[in-house]
Amino acid sequence: MNIRRFSAVILIFFYFLVVSIDVSAEERENMMILIQAGTFTMGSTSRAEDEKPAHKVFIDAFYISKYEVTNAEYYEFWINLQKKNSKNVTEENQHTPENFSHLPHIGTHIGNWPERATKLPDHPVVGVSWYDAKAYAEWKGMRLPTEAEWEKAARGYSDRIWPWGNSMLPHANTSEQNDGYDNMIAPVGSYPKGKSFFGAMDMAGNVWEWTADWYSDVYYTHSPNRNPKGPDVGSWRILRGGSWIDKLARCSTTFRFYLYPSLKTSFVGFRVAKSVDKSDKD
Amino acid sequence: MRNSLLILAILLLCFSISALSAENDDHADYVKHVEQGFLYLFQGDNQATIKAFESALAIDPNRYEILHYLGMSYASDSSWNKAVEVYNRSLALKPDNIEVLYSLAIVYFKLNQWEDAVEPLKSVISLSPQHARAHEVLGKVYVKLRQYTDAVDVLNKAIVLKPNAAGNYYELGNAHLNLKSYPEAIDFFNKAIQFGPPDFADPHFGLGTAYQRIGNRDKSREEMQIYQRLQKEAADYERFTRLTRVDPNNLDGWTGLAGVMMRQKKYKRVIPVFQKCIEIGNAQNAPVGAIASYYHGLSQAFINIRYPKLALEPAQKAIQLLPTQDRFYNTLGSVYAMLGDVQNAISVFRKAVELNEEQPYYHLNLSKLYKSIGNHKLGDQHYQAYEHFLSQQKKTQK
Repeated sequence: MNIRRFSAVILIFFYFLVVSIDVSAEERENMMILIQAGTFTMGSTSRAEDEKPAHKVFIDAFYISKYEVTNAEYYEFWINLQKKNSKNVTEENQHTPENFSHLPHIGTHIGNWPERATKLPDHPVVGVSWYDAKAYAEWKGMRLPTEAEWEKAARGYSDRIWPWGNSMLPHANTSEQNDGYDNMIAPVGSYPKGKSFFGAMDMAGNVWEWTADWYSDVYYTHSPNRNPKGPDVGSWRILRGGSWIDKLARCSTTFRFYLYPSLKTSFVGFRVAKSVDKSDKD
Repeated sequence: MRNSLLILAILLLCFSISALSAENDDHADYVKHVEQGFLYLFQGDNQATIKAFESALAIDPNRYEILHYLGMSYASDSSWNKAVEVYNRSLALKPDNIEVLYSLAIVYFKLNQWEDAVEPLKSVISLSPQHARAHEVLGKVYVKLRQYTDAVDVLNKAIVLKPNAAGNYYELGNAHLNLKSYPEAIDFFNKAIQFGPPDFADPHFGLGTAYQRIGNRDKSREEMQIYQRLQKEAADYERFTRLTRVDPNNLDGWTGLAGVMMRQKKYKRVIPVFQKCIEIGNAQNAPVGAIASYYHGLSQAFINIRYPKLALEPAQKAIQLLPTQDRFYNTLGSVYAMLGDVQNAISVFRKAVELNEEQPYYHLNLSKLYKSIGNHKLGDQHYQAYEHFLSQQKKTQK
């Protein structure tokens, strides 16, 4: 018996459970921050090798979501797909997040999908592959941020090491703080002091965030200085921001991490971005 | 008949549910092992990572990504042959995976199997023409295989992609040396020195050899001497590092290590070493002069990485412990100057001059400071003193 078919049977049940969740999700949906066109410093001269060299990059204006995409928001996309694809269910078109309720210590609080959409609507969605993240963004009429856009949104114009500044402060959900979110994911926006210059939340810690680009360790040495979009080919997609299982040092605005795009883990989520149309500027 | 059908239906349903449950359990276990594998990977625990990823692959052997991570863990553990086996399994599932091909080539390189490394590296470059690391390693492989013309070709592309990589310039120097293109070799060895860390000894040997081949004996001797000095420093560094690892309370070991690291200009990394010297020195009641020199060294390290605020306290502490050392005042003066505190800087430099009038650079520092506040008379006087003592020092040296 196909597991996908079986799960489709119980969808309706959960659909009715979840349609009533959190109204703040709707509010959040529109929370896109406008990042004005301009130049910022990308990378660093003194930290990891693949962050070098620090270089000036011009980015066109774009929007980025203030928060990481939540379980509730992703559920809306997912349930829509289940209805649409109910007669043609494949692993690829389901975009179902991974289940984690069986993990000792690390995953018990995350739980299974779709139950966790009800239980933890404001938590960032995790267990999603890069393909899932991309599909969600496209469904919303958006896209994943490029690596450069992500860094600009996190770093601002003053080369901040962390979104809030250059001091090692407990303003992010990492593995180092004893703040009530030890060894667990926090609801989005739980660390208001950790917001970036532009007001984006959780850009350090909580969950790693998929970006659109392929990874190359030397990309910065020859990347274009206007709107870089990453190498043309690669094996790994870039993740940014660090997560609840990382130390604060790995959650800096410049730290580059990478994973195979097909992986679905408990420490990776995403946020979305959107280009600014000419009509938006007018 | 109806009862039989009902029983059959129930049996089929039970079988289906149990099959589904088994499938779910297997997947749950797979996810658990992968998650644990990543946690161990981030913690740098190779053995636990290997165990976790092997367990995941025992459930789902067709995950090319997990095979890659497993291979990397074997490679980190120096289990090279196991890494080759796992990478090949991954490539059997996804033959065009750039990073697995590259990882495989690296392992062949580590195993000195140069010929085996060529094909995967060529594949990487053909799939990803901007892959700097693949160009870099292929260049090194060609040098090892004595295919110097091929090496030059590939390494020239590598330096376009990675313009500050000292190792690539060094390999280019080597390739040109073997092709007897000595001017090019000299040029690339010089670039390797320019972009490399201060303790990069090998390019000096290359330069020495190249100068010798073109008959410039003086320059050759000079470079060989630098090479020997750097080699000795590297050997000392190894020796002191080993000593402090075996005997973590060995003050001589930590002192020696700090001295070598300062000569090698490893300023950032020497800071915890000086701090360790101070800690152990105090615990072992080391002479005051020794403790003062550790504080002084710590201050100099902070100055060199441009952290004057952090350099201030150790500089003051050094003087407090040993107030008769002119060079300590000079260091404190430099800290004040970097902090923009000109008056204190002048007063401290004057104290250094008081203790040792013949050190030209103390006068130079004072000259610059006086001029910066518009006191050109005193600025000129100290500049003249600087020139005077400098020429005397040169005469003595001769």
